[in-house]
Amino acid sequence: MALLEAIGIGKTYPGGVVANDGVNLVIEPGEVHAVVGENGAGKSTLMKILFGIEQPNAGTLLLDNRQVHFSKPREAIDAGIGMVFQHFSLVPSFSVYENVVLGSEPRAGIRLDRQKAIAEVQALSDKFRLKVDPLPPVGSLPVGQQQRVEILKALYRNARILILDEPTAVLAPQEVQELFVAIRSLVAQGKTVIFIAHKLPEVLEISNSITVMRQGKTVGQVKTKEVTEKSLAAMMVGREVSLRVERKPTEQTERVASVSGLRIVNARGTEVVAGLDLNVYAGEIVGLVGVEGNGQAETLEAIAGLRQVAAGDIVVANQNANPLSVLQRRGLGLASIPEDRIAEGLSTGSTVAENLVATRLNDSRYVRGGLLDLKAIKANAQKLIERFSIRVGGPGSAVGTLSGGNMQKVVVARELSEQPKLLLVNQPTRGVDLGATQFIWRTITDARDKGAAVLLSSADLSELLALSDRLLVLYRGKIVAAFLNTPDLTPETLGTYMLGLSTQTADEMQAALK
Amino acid sequence: MMELLITVFSATFFVTIIRTTTPLLLATLGGLIADLGGALNVALEGMMLIGCLTAVIVSVYAPWYVAVAAGLGAGALLGLIMAFFAFRLKADIILVGFAINILAAGGTVFALAIATGGDKGTSINLQSKAVPAVDLSFLSAIPGIGPVLKSFLSGHSVLSWLAAFLVFAVWYFLYRTPWGLWLRGVGEYPAAPEAAGIPVNKIRTLSLVVSGALAGLGGAQLAMFNYVGFTRDMTAGRGFIALGAVLLGARHPVGALLAALLFGAFEALAVVMPGLFNDIPAELIRMIPFVVTIAALVLFSIRAQRALALRGVK
Repeated sequence: MALLEAIGIGKTYPGGVVANDGVNLVIEPGEVHAVVGENGAGKSTLMKILFGIEQPNAGTLLLDNRQVHFSKPREAIDAGIGMVFQHFSLVPSFSVYENVVLGSEPRAGIRLDRQKAIAEVQALSDKFRLKVDPLPPVGSLPVGQQQRVEILKALYRNARILILDEPTAVLAPQEVQELFVAIRSLVAQGKTVIFIAHKLPEVLEISNSITVMRQGKTVGQVKTKEVTEKSLAAMMVGREVSLRVERKPTEQTERVASVSGLRIVNARGTEVVAGLDLNVYAGEIVGLVGVEGNGQAETLEAIAGLRQVAAGDIVVANQNANPLSVLQRRGLGLASIPEDRIAEGLSTGSTVAENLVATRLNDSRYVRGGLLDLKAIKANAQKLIERFSIRVGGPGSAVGTLSGGNMQKVVVARELSEQPKLLLVNQPTRGVDLGATQFIWRTITDARDKGAAVLLSSADLSELLALSDRLLVLYRGKIVAAFLNTPDLTPETLGTYMLGLSTQTADEMQAALK
Repeated sequence: MMELLITVFSATFFVTIIRTTTPLLLATLGGLIADLGGALNVALEGMMLIGCLTAVIVSVYAPWYVAVAAGLGAGALLGLIMAFFAFRLKADIILVGFAINILAAGGTVFALAIATGGDKGTSINLQSKAVPAVDLSFLSAIPGIGPVLKSFLSGHSVLSWLAAFLVFAVWYFLYRTPWGLWLRGVGEYPAAPEAAGIPVNKIRTLSLVVSGALAGLGGAQLAMFNYVGFTRDMTAGRGFIALGAVLLGARHPVGALLAALLFGAFEALAVVMPGLFNDIPAELIRMIPFVVTIAALVLFSIRAQRALALRGVK
């Protein structure tokens, strides 16, 4: 008998976007049920409907075979459904226990009963093997522990069904294993877990059954033991996909950029990069590996000229780049695909055409006598839209109206429309669907094949392993390991270093540091 | 100079400080509650001013405590109006705040003229009442320290005692009750309380209502104790000083008390100094509290920057 059932769910957003169209989902009690699909397949919308954030236009929800209707999350919570979002909803300065009990506090008169709150959080944490200290402020904890706090929040509210929205996206491989231990312990104690994901190996490892979604419809529901990664990927995309990237061997003799003794201190006064040395040669991709927040992003920003450097030298194309502005560095042949396309990569209110020339406003092709050459800008946009197959109404559409994958293509098109000498790339395919991911990967490797030196940072280890020639592992702002990318290099090996569990000696790193 | 020192270290001067501090402290606590809830209340000044006038006019016809309650209610109502425009109609909260300040500056003069039958400056021809002082004369019966205790503790406004109690009450509310947790959560990271099913906008609205009520109460103290009667623009920037005091007090109720006392002390100085220094223009002396506000905020900011610099941030 099904615990939770969604039948024929339909959801059309105002504006006509059909997010769900006749979606069916059957969750058995005590199972781990994965929901997979590309971005835009309608997974998030379906979960928002299950959790009462969105209301469906059609279809019914059955909980314990009784029809239910959630008009807000509170009602779903009261019915025993808990959800952990990708972006945590935790108050950074509050302690762990305060965050867990927020909204349903144990009381003693008008007072918040602290002792009871702490004891209850501790008890839950022990029972479900979600180890976390109740007292420190949440903001000081690593992401993996913050995630446990989110799960504890749901359990504290007596959730029977836990929805985890891409929970592994922010975790290192070892942390993923710890999460899986916790999930197994939850299931063993009678909870049911719905697991949204797009990393197929993880789905195959943790789930009992899988629902595949594509373009707002359910393609099918399968038992995990009956499928392979390949057949699952084909179900998701609707055709055979290649998860590999072809790369030509290149000559790597010319050093394009080097960083020595780099130190960066962030606004809160903590040292985020602590004496970093690295070189990048023409025709290679160097992957910066690390759990988010170990200095990768800051290093890239410092090289791009977007962040103050406390100490150290940055040399780009044989020139000391320290005193140079962002624009002067770009003049040396630097291009940059930033981590957050909406905040840093694009002006969402401006048109596609405007965004595509935003870095070239001193280029006489587009600006003459201080005035924009609108015709040339439009022609440039049309050319790039075609070359990068950006799905958009036209050069005059606002960037904010595009899907995540197409927005990212606009950034990539702008940065790679001319061959760069040094390309900085941070999270190139975060929140981008498989089709666009393949396209972006190919574009980056093409730039490398034509002689660009590429520095790549990504939270997705499979992306780093697919693209990089060399990999440098950062932990607390230092390089703790360096590898040449060989087929026998595994995510687990990298993970040991990412978590700081071990460190290579200078000799071991030598070969891959160059 | 000697006379100044003698004055400053007298019990009378202490009583003056308490008197000047009280309206400021009430407004600062109001500013603190709104600020911690994530709604910057720039309308404290206007709320206080309207609180002054309401209290004065009502006190002509009703007992003093009804008048005080009316001043408080006027502030609360303004807080509710501000919340309606800012959260329901999604107007910019700073602009709404300034609209209330402008409304208060003009509106109080207009209402005063109607109430007095044409006087646009003061309410001198209205028979308004005062908030009673708490008489603790019996303390002088205590042998030894009795007379000293009496001279320091007796003669304060009822509202001064209330304000002192409110510092504790606000602290208890913020750091010991669930609702304080909600309020601070709403101010720091609204997505978290929202996900926990806490009505974020309702909390913010209530915080502005309480904020306005405290500012209105401060206005009542100003117009029914510090001065008895209404004068146009009588708040003279106290609402803005209170906003500064919230920051200077590190967004904590005890800090708010200390900051309000600092500004209150300089205001008291500005009250007693003109009598002692005939050759300095009184206008210059009356500038002191404002100069101190600016200086204190600048120093505070420099200190914060230096603390960051010490930790190696450029």
